[in-house]
Amino acid sequence: MADQVEVAVVGAGPGGLSAALAAAQAGAQVTLIDGYGRPGGQYFRQPAAELRTRQRMRHQREGEALWEKALGAGVRFLPETVVWGAFEGNLLALHGPHTPAHVQARAIILATGAYDRPVAFPGWTLPGVMTAGAAQALLKQQRILAGKRILLAGTGPLQVVLAADLVRAGASVVAILEGSRFFAKVVRQAGALWGQWQRLAEGLGSRLTLLRQGVPFRPGWGIVAAHGTEQVESATIARLDSQWRHIPGSQETLTCDTLCLGYGFIPSNTLSRLLGAKQEWRPELGGEVPWRDIDMQTSVSGVYAVGDGAGVGGGPLAMLEGQIAGIAGAAQTGHGAGEVEKTIRHLAPILARERRFQRMYAALFTPGPGLYEWSRDDTVLCRCEEVTRADVRKALALGADSANEVKAIIRCGMGDCQGRMCSHLVAHCIARETGRPVAEVGLYRPRPPIFPVPVLALDRQLEEIASGAVSEAARR
Amino acid sequence: MSMSRKMGTGVVIVGGGIVGCAAAFSLARRGRKVILLEKSVIGGEASGRNGGGVRAQCRDRRERPLAMASITLWAGLEAELGFDVEYVQDGNIRMATNEERMGMLRREMEEELADGLGVEMWDRDELRRRAPYLSDVFVGAKYCPADGTANPILASRAFGWAAKRIGATILVHTEAVSIGVQVGQVTSVTARDRDGEILIETPWVIHAGGPWTPQLSRTVGIQVPIEPARSVVAITQRMPFLFKEFISSHDLGAYCRQAREGHVHIGGVGTPGKTFDQTMPAASVAQLARGAARIVPALRGANILRTWAGTLENTPDKVPIISPVDGIKGYILASGFSGHGFCLGPIAGTLLSELIVDGEPSLPLDEFRLSRFAASPAPV
Repeated sequence: MADQVEVAVVGAGPGGLSAALAAAQAGAQVTLIDGYGRPGGQYFRQPAAELRTRQRMRHQREGEALWEKALGAGVRFLPETVVWGAFEGNLLALHGPHTPAHVQARAIILATGAYDRPVAFPGWTLPGVMTAGAAQALLKQQRILAGKRILLAGTGPLQVVLAADLVRAGASVVAILEGSRFFAKVVRQAGALWGQWQRLAEGLGSRLTLLRQGVPFRPGWGIVAAHGTEQVESATIARLDSQWRHIPGSQETLTCDTLCLGYGFIPSNTLSRLLGAKQEWRPELGGEVPWRDIDMQTSVSGVYAVGDGAGVGGGPLAMLEGQIAGIAGAAQTGHGAGEVEKTIRHLAPILARERRFQRMYAALFTPGPGLYEWSRDDTVLCRCEEVTRADVRKALALGADSANEVKAIIRCGMGDCQGRMCSHLVAHCIARETGRPVAEVGLYRPRPPIFPVPVLALDRQLEEIASGAVSEAARR
Repeated sequence: MSMSRKMGTGVVIVGGGIVGCAAAFSLARRGRKVILLEKSVIGGEASGRNGGGVRAQCRDRRERPLAMASITLWAGLEAELGFDVEYVQDGNIRMATNEERMGMLRREMEEELADGLGVEMWDRDELRRRAPYLSDVFVGAKYCPADGTANPILASRAFGWAAKRIGATILVHTEAVSIGVQVGQVTSVTARDRDGEILIETPWVIHAGGPWTPQLSRTVGIQVPIEPARSVVAITQRMPFLFKEFISSHDLGAYCRQAREGHVHIGGVGTPGKTFDQTMPAASVAQLARGAARIVPALRGANILRTWAGTLENTPDKVPIISPVDGIKGYILASGFSGHGFCLGPIAGTLLSELIVDGEPSLPLDEFRLSRFAASPAPV
């Protein structure tokens, strides 16, 4: 059952869907893989099947249309499928209910997206504290409200949109804490908003909803601590200085039953790292991202990366990058080789506009270094293994000098989440304690499987390997 | 250009694996001035990337006395080093799926008993009674109650931390690039770190470089017949308690142990391929999972959480080289542990310090001389 394919696309969000569509339209055989049952990713997240008769949001309709086009172009979709490893020879190891165990592709397009940046402060592990992404997924997919009295803390317009959606769905939003004090900056960056009419309209709509409901919007404020016994009952907040450090004496306490954190995103770059793609540390893009050339190819030939997983930039940018990578990936497999340059040239002006917006967004909403100083010595950094900041300091005192070495000694990052949650927290903590740049400290080295995978499923895969179904033919 | 730096010491140890660190600890404890050079981090290679088995059974007869002596040291390590290395003596079961294997194990048992190692044979019924968690494919096993396990990541590092605490100098990210010899006597070691070269004057070099040994030994014209091999380990998510023994089957190609936190470590028996490649092949992940599922049926319901690969080094006879080098006074090799270095590390460190401090080790090392390979053809 192992498959030789021309183009494999990992992730069916805006970037992956666009890549799959473009590659298929160019004539390539395309397999699109996603962990969820329905394509769309977080951006186009669709309601659960049982709730589909309800009215859908604009993004959901857009995503549906893109998906129908891709389907029409012959894209094969592998739903509920986890890519747990990537190996030499462009071999992807899969686990899912009805999928081959391996896909060997001549071109791989990674559109793995990003995940909410975890922020550690006293009380962040209490029930009721969740990421903005989780609250949004609950609402979009299940029509479930995360809580009744919700405090939003984070940065960027996404939390304003989420707040408006929550209010429309009947929740009470206690306040929106925006870490950035950006009004002055907005004026300087206003030029980049030219052409972003849809975004502006959406933003304006959300703001109006919130104004009508009297939801306080507090720029330059952040979280100090969440309190509660069984779950969140209140939160202490404080003013932030320009570096996002708490300003002493500015603390206030707000009552809430839910705290949603939206401090930006961390690119999911694990697969490109496993494939050996060269990485760069780019805080403005969310952290560590693969280096790419003009057609979205990484330093590994035949491996492309698009969308938030290659640098946080949002849905529209991901779709453009996906289109380019799709055409380039198809060309690599012998379909429409002449089209690549033309497409890149054709898309250049829109791409430039989106990149301008991306830069403006990063300038306004990249958290300051103080964000990683909100933990205390007894604050847990690694939830899976319950490792505190004090433990990290102990490992450093023993001579550890990298995230990997700290992990080896005190087990942070060895838990079920494979270090996704604490990777940046621990790296920043080490950087601060040792006075070195985060890029030098490094993140944990990824090890397959990047998601836990059942022994029985692996056992089944061995049959495939033994039967020679994974041939050398696709390795080019 | 950075200025070249100069240092001087009593002993230079090349290699920060468990053997090198144990030697540094033993020598520092006996008052010797020691500088240990490690190209990356302490315990970062095979010493920290192995199954964690500490066993005396199923060893080459030459190696057995060392393994038995080492286990005596392991039992006192926590107190000696001041760190908990998760050492437990919960026994080692070597299973057989066929009568031929049983015959081999029986012959081995006679030798082991003669050498004073307490082991026992279990037939099918006894095995079922003593280890009911094992699959019924096994027809019997050999059991050694004094064998056990430790945490490989912590143990090598703990030797390094302890050595440092009592005065050894540990230089990480510092690679030894050549050994200086004058009239048949070691005089110095040249090392390189990110700031440039360091010349270290020393009359003694202990060379415990694992698979990377040959390239440095060649700088003094010595060929060390070892080859690299990839070792692989997979780890399950935390499981409820399943078993305490270290269990292995050559017939099924895997070994397992359940670590303190509940994760089951699954390793491959046998190390195919002569390679320094430390990436994990997709097929190996599946092979380890299959091996584990066949050995312990309860693991069929487990999830694999993580895998890693490491590089160990094999000699032609899979027995280590612990040997002064003929013709170069002061140069001692401690390498080629062939996957057995973790268990042997503590005793190797002690014997190496005795070679230097007392001139005579407390256990004979004649069987581990480099010169035993002189007559054999060079490895391909």
